[in-house]
Amino acid sequence: MKLQYTPEQQAFRAEVRAWMAAHVPKEPLLTLEGRQGYDQHVAWERELAGGNWGMVTWDEAYGGRGLNLIEWLIFEEEYWAAGAPLRVNQNGIFLLGPTIMDVGTAKQKARFLPPMARGETIWAQAWSEPNAGSDMAAITCRADRDGDHYVLNGQKTWSSRGAFADWAFGLFRSDRDSKRHKGLSFIVFDLNSPGITRRPIRQLHGNPGFAEIFFDNVRTPVENRLGGEGDGWNVAMATAGFERGLMLRSPGRFQAAAQRLIELYRANASHAAPSTREAVVRAWSAAQAYAYNTYAVAADIMAGGRIGAESSLNKIFWSELDRAMHRTAMHLLGAGAELRRFADGAVNDWLEGYVFSLSGPIYAGSNEIQRNIVAERLLGLPRAGAG
Amino acid sequence: MTYRLSDDQRLLSESVRAFFTGTHPPQSVRQAASEGHVAATVRQGLVEMGLTRLLVPEAHGGLGLGFLEGALVAREAGRVCLADPLLEAALVAAPWLASRGQTDALDAISEGRSQAPLAHEANPWVLGGGGDRLDSIDPLRRLTTAPQVRSDDALLLNIGALMTAAELVGLAEAMLEQACAYAKVRQQFGQPIGAFQAIKHQLANCAVCLEFARPVVWRAACALQDGTPTAPLHVSHAKVVATDAAWSTAETAIQVHGAMGYTYEVDLHFWMKRSWALAGAWGHRDFHLNRIDAALIGGDVPVGPSFTFI
Repeated sequence: MKLQYTPEQQAFRAEVRAWMAAHVPKEPLLTLEGRQGYDQHVAWERELAGGNWGMVTWDEAYGGRGLNLIEWLIFEEEYWAAGAPLRVNQNGIFLLGPTIMDVGTAKQKARFLPPMARGETIWAQAWSEPNAGSDMAAITCRADRDGDHYVLNGQKTWSSRGAFADWAFGLFRSDRDSKRHKGLSFIVFDLNSPGITRRPIRQLHGNPGFAEIFFDNVRTPVENRLGGEGDGWNVAMATAGFERGLMLRSPGRFQAAAQRLIELYRANASHAAPSTREAVVRAWSAAQAYAYNTYAVAADIMAGGRIGAESSLNKIFWSELDRAMHRTAMHLLGAGAELRRFADGAVNDWLEGYVFSLSGPIYAGSNEIQRNIVAERLLGLPRAGAG
Repeated sequence: MTYRLSDDQRLLSESVRAFFTGTHPPQSVRQAASEGHVAATVRQGLVEMGLTRLLVPEAHGGLGLGFLEGALVAREAGRVCLADPLLEAALVAAPWLASRGQTDALDAISEGRSQAPLAHEANPWVLGGGGDRLDSIDPLRRLTTAPQVRSDDALLLNIGALMTAAELVGLAEAMLEQACAYAKVRQQFGQPIGAFQAIKHQLANCAVCLEFARPVVWRAACALQDGTPTAPLHVSHAKVVATDAAWSTAETAIQVHGAMGYTYEVDLHFWMKRSWALAGAWGHRDFHLNRIDAALIGGDVPVGPSFTFI
């Protein structure tokens, strides 16, 4: 244990801080769930790429800086400290990117990673189907082999960024006779391919945040398969591990929210109840604990470890922390909490954040599924129905 | 920046765990409770393992290790619900006495002859000591009335709170393991109760709680070792999260055990009672919560993503 940054790490922090101070938009962007806000966020991705900040951990050949996970954490800390926008390409850079790095061929890496880092290709995920949600192994979307192509048919839903993104990745049944986890393949595809119909789904805040995707004999080359044919489940689980485990929600985001919550409390202290005050303290406590844990996971990975079912512990923790922090802020705002914009015209981003936080315990595998995973894989409890 | 236990620290934890597993089974806890004192062989073993000398400076014949190593051993003591108060002497009194230049008692602590009972104003009792006996819910804690003159040294409080937090982590880990072991074998409705989500999800919550308590405790140990100005904040953070982890795991564990958990026959209650006792020791939960509150909301401790390590 050595909890001091090296002079090089401190210099790197200063470099990130200075760049962010000069480039982060002064006015908050519109929500990335709407067309206009989505375009603003894509422009921000390209601005980031201009500073070579697209994905700092990737090799320089793929548009990164070849930095390690500690430096990635420093980057993320300064990113969120500066109040920088959400990453519209998070499905690409944080989920698909590490998977391609892990199982992709040299050709796939060279083809997909650089435009991802440059913000030129924005990625959507396409896991769920109408009858395959928490039970993802119930997938029925088909990928039938036809020479050097797969022909995709079926329907995906709840596709994050699916309304506007360029490409998507998901699981398809490449073995027609297979059941459950077997016979699935991990396939990436161009969302503008002939035969694809996207139908945006209006979310509870009114914006088309995600989409249904319909496949009608969509042809995609076999070289767009990641990993072996029929090995898609294992590839997807690796992706899910990155998502829940380390990259999707870096601690800086929650530390920034806890910091803002403390400021909000100070501004409203005169009418706040002691229980609200404790909730503020606990928000800081949990955000810090999450940061320490993330540094520990990063150090383990740097020492050669891999993220396993422990990533489910993380996902439960940050998603419920996020919800609790925003709920506390809503209480502190009192009668003003319902306003989408305050009287001075400022966007009530606590309200937006609270609405968004409600999705955290649901997406990326519901927290009920995560608790099952923790119980069965970490605690060794029997699967349901075991005698 | 490396948030990872060193190979030596891992080895220390593993060897102490192996030693305790072999020499201090639950039966020895039960025996100490019924006979009123711990078996002499247990203490002899602690001395021979060098645990009594762990934090004694090398100049005084000790191993001269730091608070993180001390906390790792305290966690192992919690895992087995150690029936001997020696670690309070070795992990709390010894480093504090050494840091204050009071080295007279160090030899006696190293040799396992003294508990060096410490009176601090945070505690209305003394562990060991010569005053009137006080009856703790934890049958393994020999408490006596506190003397009129008690220390108000903040360093002593912080060391005590840190080691207590680490022991609470170990207690919580053990209680979670006991509850899981029971849930795997207890059958109802034709299957192990651990197959039911109502049981699984409660136990998973304990695992989450523990996963995010451990790194806070190690962080506090490093802060105290490094003399970080904000160390008191980190120690209080550790004590609160460790207390919450142990307290909630205790309640979950007894619930999972059902009526069996309410009996003297099942071992769980020893661990649960120790948890209740330690929750209040060396600054109770609200004391530490208030200390965090004062630093964060009332004070000027820098907070935010740029200040993960302050």
